Amino acid sequence: MKTEKKSIRRIRNRGKRLDAWQLLLLFLLLCLTTVLGTIIWTMPENTSGLTDAVARLQEQSGVESPVTAVLLNFRGYDTLLEVMVLLLAVIGAWSLAKAPFSGQAADTGPVQMGVVRLLVPLMFLVAAYLVWQGSHLAGGAFQGGAILGAAGVLLLVTELLFLPAIPALPLRIGLVFGPLLFVVIALFCLCLTGHLLGYPEQAAGGLILLIETACAISIGLTLASLFAGGHPEDDHPQSVNPTEHSDKEEWP
Amino acid sequence: MNPFQLASPTWMISPIILPLIAGLLCFLLNRRTFAIALAAAVANLLAVCFLTYQLLLFGPMRCHMGGWQPPLGITLRSDGPAVLMLLMTAVTGLAITVYARGYFSHRILNLRQATQHQEQQRYFWPLWMLLLAGLNGLFLSNDIFNLYVTLEIIAIAAASLAALSGKPASQLASFRYLLVSLLGSLTYLLGVVFLYRSCGILDLDILQHHVANGPGIRAALALMSIGLLLKTALVPLHFWLPPTHANALAPVSVILSGLVVKGSFYLLFRLWFEIFTQLITPSALNFMGTLGAVAILWGAVQAMRQHRLKLMVAYSTVSQLGYLFIAFPLSRIDESIQVWSIVIFMALGHACAKSALFMVAGAVFLHLGHDRIKDLNGVRASLPIPVFAYGIAGVSLMGLPPSAGFIGKWLLLTSSLTSSQWWWALVIITGSLLAMIYVFRVMSRFFVIPEDYSVTTSAPLSPLLEWPALIMALISLFLGLAASWPMKILATGNTALTQVFPGGLP
Repeated sequence: MKTEKKSIRRIRNRGKRLDAWQLLLLFLLLCLTTVLGTIIWTMPENTSGLTDAVARLQEQSGVESPVTAVLLNFRGYDTLLEVMVLLLAVIGAWSLAKAPFSGQAADTGPVQMGVVRLLVPLMFLVAAYLVWQGSHLAGGAFQGGAILGAAGVLLLVTELLFLPAIPALPLRIGLVFGPLLFVVIALFCLCLTGHLLGYPEQAAGGLILLIETACAISIGLTLASLFAGGHPEDDHPQSVNPTEHSDKEEWP
Repeated sequence: MNPFQLASPTWMISPIILPLIAGLLCFLLNRRTFAIALAAAVANLLAVCFLTYQLLLFGPMRCHMGGWQPPLGITLRSDGPAVLMLLMTAVTGLAITVYARGYFSHRILNLRQATQHQEQQRYFWPLWMLLLAGLNGLFLSNDIFNLYVTLEIIAIAAASLAALSGKPASQLASFRYLLVSLLGSLTYLLGVVFLYRSCGILDLDILQHHVANGPGIRAALALMSIGLLLKTALVPLHFWLPPTHANALAPVSVILSGLVVKGSFYLLFRLWFEIFTQLITPSALNFMGTLGAVAILWGAVQAMRQHRLKLMVAYSTVSQLGYLFIAFPLSRIDESIQVWSIVIFMALGHACAKSALFMVAGAVFLHLGHDRIKDLNGVRASLPIPVFAYGIAGVSLMGLPPSAGFIGKWLLLTSSLTSSQWWWALVIITGSLLAMIYVFRVMSRFFVIPEDYSVTTSAPLSPLLEWPALIMALISLFLGLAASWPMKILATGNTALTQVFPGGLP
């Protein structure tokens, strides 16, 4: 325990002044950046990457925006795994601590409440629009989800009383909904066309919109849950051990 | 093509999708999570066995995700090395799943703070299942950006698992692990950016033919290698490994030491010996070999100096990882397939032996409440099965016949002598001797039973805590006898190997 405290203190003190090593390190980092910058500056720009291939197959993708086509169709498998990364972040955060809610109503001023009342529904609307827009312009699940997450953060900083009381189960359903639907649709496509995430061409647009909507909801909840910083009060299985409650006090 | 027929490459997705769904369900439902995880681990093992069978029948295969052909789409590939790594992960994964069940139920039933342990178990299962999916995805992926995504899944899941124990020491170590891991991932990603900018290709098969010697590609190779070396913890980038692995919960230590470090190593090896082969110079190979040699000696010396069993095992991982890098300079004499067989044997043997060791360390810790090496006297009397497992796993670490470690080291020795690079042989032999010292140092404690010793009356360990360790240790021992099977899988679709060992294996 002592050594841990010591090392924590050492880490705290470390940031306060630059010593010779840090200056040397800084210098070396600058050198590295310069070298990498020069390389990328002088690199021959002979290829257009995969832009041509995307443009050629755009019509078969079911959406008009090339970004959405790449994200959800051509490289949908990447996005499937990325959505899992976001979920993993929440599970990781939940495993560390309980969400620190104060449990009392905050002293919220009328201006703040007004802003929240005005902005939150508007943000939901914007998020829905962004998801819808993803099929032909810039937008999509991640953008819509980010707006939803921001709405969640706004609610959280207002410390509304109903937030800590949200039970864990609906929250978990919301978090898993997008990723699970994504996997289910991927497997559904596997049965239909023989390829994981190989959408049937005429249904591609609809399926992509469905995935994006579900994922936007889950991503929004994910970001808001990360801001809340821990798991809800009741997120653990019912105790099988009758002595559990007496144990609770011994835990410092 | 019908995706469900025998020869269909679509089966390849099952080792990824099955744990993925299991992970989601484990998070969603908080009851019966063990049943879900166990079912997924068993199904994963069956799926991997099926893939092996398929590989032997039809040779290497490619699976195009969504039906999009490369260069646009993402490809999965199953070939000898990938399937062997999948097998390693599936077998170890099943053992870990069973062991973790025993571990958590023991802690919940027998110790105080049951709530805390229940919470740990509740988050362990989804994290572990998603980590398994990420590892399988890494071994199968054939797309340089998709590989980054799998690295990210592994990094985040592994760091969260490492922090699960909740002790300040483990939180500090796992936070450092998270930072190191992310730094490694981002360095790798920067390399991918360089590569994509100069080639415009992400698919590994096509990339192989586009790689030309230029500053951009060389920078990409350097960045990706450094990122992966950081994740693989090769000396001198190993600083994060011992505290992280030693302070995590026992099942998590097994996962981190047995499987996670192998993932980034496998990727590094693939890049060096399949994609960037033209760029690799002898000096670069020698450099890696030298770092590997330093790792073997430094890790072993540190392992000898430790006072805690788990730290000793963690430093032994640092040492054993060095052997994988010694294989690099030996690749010059032969085609890369010989190196593949060395690396695969060392990796398989180490995965089995090291998971057995960490499981034993966890069992000893649960039994005694500590793992100070000097106070381990007489454990043999109360924990005979784990001590037996420790001994057998030690045999594999030392490289005595007939273990998998022996086959790996034998191949290393013969190729270092035939290529007249005897100095590597010297390092290998010294490393084995040092391993013998640190293994026996603990072993002798186990067998010394003091005069006034009485078998402690603490609750007996569940068989779930003892048998997985023994089974993993036995696998590492008998893998050497069955060496021709992995060789056969490795050689499928690659005719070079049959000529390398015309007279069979030792």
